[in-house]
This record gives sequence, structure tokens and C-alpha cells, in this order.
Amino acid sequence: MAGPLTESVPERELRHARSPLVIRPICPIGPRPHRYNRGVPTPRCDCEGVCDGNAFLHELNALFCAAVRAGHEEAFLQRALVLAMRAVGGDRAFLALVEQSTGDLVVVNTAGLGWTPETARLRLSLVHESARGITGHVVLTAEPYRAGDVTKDPHYIEYFRDVRSEIAAPISGTSGQSVGVINVESVHYERFTDEHEHRLAAISHATAAALRVQGFRARESALIEIGNNLTTTLDIQTLMQKVLAVAADVLRFEDCTVFLLDEMTDLLVLTASGGGLAERLGEAPYKVGDGITGWVAAHGEAVRLIEPRLDPRWRGLCVEFPENEIGALLAVPIVGRNRVLGVLRVVRRKSPTAWFSPAFSEGEERVLNTIGRQLGAAVENVRSYERLISAERMAAWGELSARAAHMIGNRTFALKGDLNELNYLLSQKPCEEIRAEVVDLSASMFRGVERLEEILREFRDFVVATQITLAPCDLNAVVRETLSETFPKRSSVALSLDLDEGLPELRCDARKLKRAFGELVENAVTFQPDGGALDVRTFVLSAAERADGRLGQSREYVGIEFADAGPGIVAEHKDRVFMPFYTTRAKGMGLGLSIVKGIVEAHQGVVREVGAPGEGARFVVCLPASEVASPTAAT
Amino acid sequence: MAHILVVDDEEEVRASLKRRLKREGYTVTTAESAADAAGTISGAAEGFDAVVTDMCMEEADSGLEVLRHALARDLFTEVIVLTAYGNVANAVESMRRGAFDYLEKNVPGVDTYEVLVMKVSQALERRRAAIRTVRRLEERASRQGAAT
Repeated sequence: MAGPLTESVPERELRHARSPLVIRPICPIGPRPHRYNRGVPTPRCDCEGVCDGNAFLHELNALFCAAVRAGHEEAFLQRALVLAMRAVGGDRAFLALVEQSTGDLVVVNTAGLGWTPETARLRLSLVHESARGITGHVVLTAEPYRAGDVTKDPHYIEYFRDVRSEIAAPISGTSGQSVGVINVESVHYERFTDEHEHRLAAISHATAAALRVQGFRARESALIEIGNNLTTTLDIQTLMQKVLAVAADVLRFEDCTVFLLDEMTDLLVLTASGGGLAERLGEAPYKVGDGITGWVAAHGEAVRLIEPRLDPRWRGLCVEFPENEIGALLAVPIVGRNRVLGVLRVVRRKSPTAWFSPAFSEGEERVLNTIGRQLGAAVENVRSYERLISAERMAAWGELSARAAHMIGNRTFALKGDLNELNYLLSQKPCEEIRAEVVDLSASMFRGVERLEEILREFRDFVVATQITLAPCDLNAVVRETLSETFPKRSSVALSLDLDEGLPELRCDARKLKRAFGELVENAVTFQPDGGALDVRTFVLSAAERADGRLGQSREYVGIEFADAGPGIVAEHKDRVFMPFYTTRAKGMGLGLSIVKGIVEAHQGVVREVGAPGEGARFVVCLPASEVASPTAAT
Repeated sequence: MAHILVVDDEEEVRASLKRRLKREGYTVTTAESAADAAGTISGAAEGFDAVVTDMCMEEADSGLEVLRHALARDLFTEVIVLTAYGNVANAVESMRRGAFDYLEKNVPGVDTYEVLVMKVSQALERRRAAIRTVRRLEERASRQGAAT
């Protein structure tokens, strides 16, 4: 059995453990009780040396070192278990952790004789007294336990037929309760001594330390991830769902709900749900001050309760699951710079057994408070960004309406001129004589009306450019559809397409993107009246390209390039082309590229013109991918 | 016959104005910007009798620029300024600087072209009167000069 077990312990660690400084073990004369085994052949010691005190101390030291080092979390548990089995001279061992929502003990690591994939999937119910066994007993009492003769032990449940004696030590969690157990068995009676109990306790402390460090590390990276999302996510809904997902990684809870305060009405609007209230998003079940959630919003303080139903503030207006099933509630305010912006609430079901309290700990309250504050900063960030955008657009509005009035006025004036001429002709000459002139006038008036409609369309598109609805979308499909709708069927412009089929998933507004891409295609065609080329390409931006475009490295970006062989854009106009009312064409109001910019920026992307003047225009649109880039891709 | 310069950045507007004024028998030249108008004015054999110019072209007050060039060339050229939407401040400024009148392009229920034709005719009348007055003054001055 030694072969497969040592495999899971990193080879480097073993070498370290067997460095020349180690005092060589004096096995097989390790500590072993013989009193009860008279007449029974002395078993061969398979401790591989660690039953020697010095060697054990050395291994234990290495184990503690590993416990506080990052990485190898799974390997650590296996290493601890193997050491435990050897240190107490056992034949078989397992490590089980408590799954608090079900009250089950789940075996996560095994070592020693006789395990099969089936037996290694052992689950012990802590809820049912009859199914707990010694292991369950240890978890519930949080005390170590030794059985010299399992056949006479009141707690023992037979699982392997050859077991004669057993020793188990609890792994304790942050608030003193057990989160798991290390269990070692022997095929000999009275195999384990006080010394073994101390050794096992030491190993279980190391394991507890490792699990805690792991927990802290998970919290740390979760908080960092939330922090990262704050600056890169500018859509409140997406941000909330991300935060809920991250929070679920670090805080055990059955459901989580976010309410944001609508300051106009003083109502708490259900903004995100971990599941239970997903159907009711958008509802406003609480007024500030109503129920526990409303109390948190009104006072800006956290509330941490067991059996929240018994609290006088409880109203039960909006609950994640039937209120008699809610065992504990933790609600923290989402705080902005100087006021409460909402409430973040997590709940746990009642525990299946009286042994486990569903109560949230003070530490968990601190973590959720931190998340609440980060969320507050994020919400303010999003809102101030929205305000900034709307301020910019408001400034554009003044000019936009003046320009629109001017252009509409001019078109109407020209139409009036045509009507004036028409009336003159009709009053002066017989119909037959003026036929040709009337046809000309009609064509001119038709053009006039068309121009008016173009203006209206641009006006509308400009206004709604930033109002987008995000949904997962296949960018290459959007590009293809745009080209089939916009690129003329018969054109002297040669179209070439180079689409990267391995693009990451994107969330975007396909209809709006088509409008933006369509504008760029139309531009390319218009500026090459005597033929030319349009090369359309999609690609994933490299880290260097992201750095070039000052795009931030925390997420992936997809690029869409439209390159033509037209006159291009001179250097001093490169920035101006995206400003409203820039045009070198008579058509419309010159809002085309500013509409493109509006749509792209609403997707948190950027659009640039990077062509060399005289060599054609090259527009590159960069859109962020949905998910945060993997750390390897980002560095 | 009177020679009129029409200045507007919109091709359709220029065409409509030119057509209507030609119907009255005027000779019409067009320009599409203040800069274009300045060139046309300085390049013409003699000053235009009247200039009809849009106010807002390259700049919001391009009409003032046209006015300045027209009066620099011939003090008695009559300038009528058109505005696409009532920008009274600029229009008043143009009057202060010697424009004959200003006219809003879009007034509900008003056929602006007929109003314009009327104003152009009044403007030309004033120009003629002004030129007559100047001639008389010149003649009197030369007679007095001859007498002394």
C-alpha cells in the first residue's frame, strides 16, 4: 500500500524530510504496546521510520510548514493522513470533513489497506445517531477517542471486518466546533497509546491550520476578485451576480440576495438573487425601516440572527425559502461614501441536527461587511460613470438639437422652394407644358424628404446608441450578418473576411453592434467609389495589443478590424472623426462615427482609427470578453 | 439687370434660391461658403447689387463674414441674411453692421421665397436710391468745384 500513497506526496517534500540532518530512525523498535498482545506475534512495523520521536518531529515540522505555504491543498490533506497513519503505526486511515448543510461527514482522503473506489466514497450521517460511529462521535464531542478493542466499543460501527482498534482526532474549526476528523485503524488490539493520541492531535492541528489558511486565502482572493470586478464591470446587474458567486465561494450560505435603495421612493429594490428570489427581481418588497432588511438600510448596521423569525423586526415580506426553514440570517448594509445604498443579505437553512448551529460567526459578518462596502464602492463607481456619460451626452444634446434644427430647417426650406416653384408653374402654364419640370421637382422633393428621414434616423440612433441590452452573442455571426445586410451585392470593392473562430464569449447588443459595424462598412464603400478593398478581421487581442490600447489586463478583448484602400484619414482628423457632426459627406448630420463610438463605449469597448494616411482607413473596435482573463493569459 | 450673389452651404437651398431669383429676371451667382463667397466677391468685375447669405455655415456667424467682404468691396451692396432657425442675436448683429434685413427660413405659414423676393426688390430699390444720392452729391460737388 505504500506505493500509491507516497505518490500523492510531492517528491520534493519527501526528499526534504529525508535530508541528511535527520536522525536515522531506530525502527522496528518504535513505541508499541505489548501488554495486551502477549502470545500474538509481534507485528512488523510499517511506520517507515516515523514512529521514532525525532523523525516524527521532523516530519511534523515539515507538515506545519506545508500547512502555511500556498498551494498543494489536496496534496496536503493526503500527506497529513499518511503521516498520521505512520506516526501511530496504523494499518488504514481516512480523513473526513463535515458538510454542514446536510450534517454528513464525507471522506475526502484515504490511506492504507483495503480501500476501493466504492468504499472511499463513504459518507457518515451525523444526523442519525445509529449511523455516526466513532468518527461521528469525535466530530460531535470535538474530543479525541481511542478504542482498544472495537468489538466492545459502544460507538463502533463495523465497516472493515479486520479492524481491532481505532484512534480518531477531531479537526477543529475557527469557533471551536469540529470541521472534520482524522481516523486511524489497526488490525491489532490495543494498538494505540497516549503518545499516539498526542501525535494524532498534533497532525490534526496542522490540518486545521492548513484548512484555515486555505479559507483565508480563498477569502483573500475572493475579495481581490470582487475588487477587480469593481473597476472593470460597469453594469450593475452583472457586477451583482459576480459578487454573489464570489461570496458563495467564501461564505457558506443557502441563498443570498441584494437589495438596492431607490432614493426617490425610499424602497429597497430586489436587484440580485442567488436563486430563491430570482423570479422576483425588480420588485420592491421593503420600504426603508420595514422588516429586518429595512432596518439594516435605515440604521446602516449589520444584523446577525439565529431564528430571525423570532426577532421583533421580522416581517417575512420577502424570503428566500419558507420562513420556518430559515435558521440564520446575516444582513449588512451596502455603504457608499456617505450613505446606505442597499442591503446584502445571506441566509442559512435550519441545521439538520442540533449539533450544528446554522449561526453566522463574527468573522463571517466581517467578511460580508467588507463585501458590502466593496459593493457600495462599485455601485457608486457605476453610477458616477453613468452620470459622467450622461453629462457628456447632455452637453452634446444642446449642440445636437441646434444642429438638427438647422439641418431640418434647411431641408424644409429647400422643399418649400420646390413647392413654391411647383405652384408657380401650375398657375402660369398648362399642365402638358410643365410635365418635365414637375417630374424634376418631384424627384428633388423626394430627395429632400429622404434627407429629412436620414437626419431623423441618425438623430434617433445617436440618442439610443448607449441604451444597450447585453446578451451572450456570437460576434463572428454579427459581422457576417452585417456584411450580408450592408455590403452592396454588386460592388467594385473587393471584400475579404478573416474571422477567428476561437473568440471568447461576449455579452453584447447584437442589433446595436450591427448598426455600428454597418456604419463602418458603409463608410468604406462610400469612400471607394471607384473600387478598392475592404478587409474585415476578428481576433483576440494579445497582452501587448491590450497594453498598446491602454485596455487593462484584467480581461480579454476581442478586436474587429475594418480596413479599406480608400483615401484614409489624415493624422489631425483621427480624433475628430468620432466627434458628433464631423462629416465630409452631404448625407445625414455627420453623426455616423459618433454613433459607432457611443455603441462601442456602451459595451465598455473602444474604437480607433489606426490606418496610415494615404493607405486607407483602418478602424479597430475592441470589445471586452465576458469573463475575466485567466491569470496566465493576463500576465 | 441686378446681379445677386447667393451664399449657402446646402446645395438644394442654393438651387432653390437661384431658381426663384432668376424667375424675377436677376442674374444669380452662387457660393457654398463664406470663404468661397469672399473669393467670388473680390474676383467679380464689379460689386454685387445684393447678397443673400445664410448665417450659419462653416461657423455659426459665417453670414457676418460674407457681409464684411461684400461691404468692403462695395459699400452699397445690400445684404440679406437668412437664418435656418431664429438666432436673433446674430441677426441683430448683422443689422447693426449694415445688413439690409434678415429673414428666417422657416416660418410656419409664410412662403419665405415670396418674402425674400419682396425684400430683395426693396433692397435693390434702396441701393439704387443710395447710388442716385451719391451721384447727385458727386455731381453737385463737381459743379461747385467747376464754379470756383
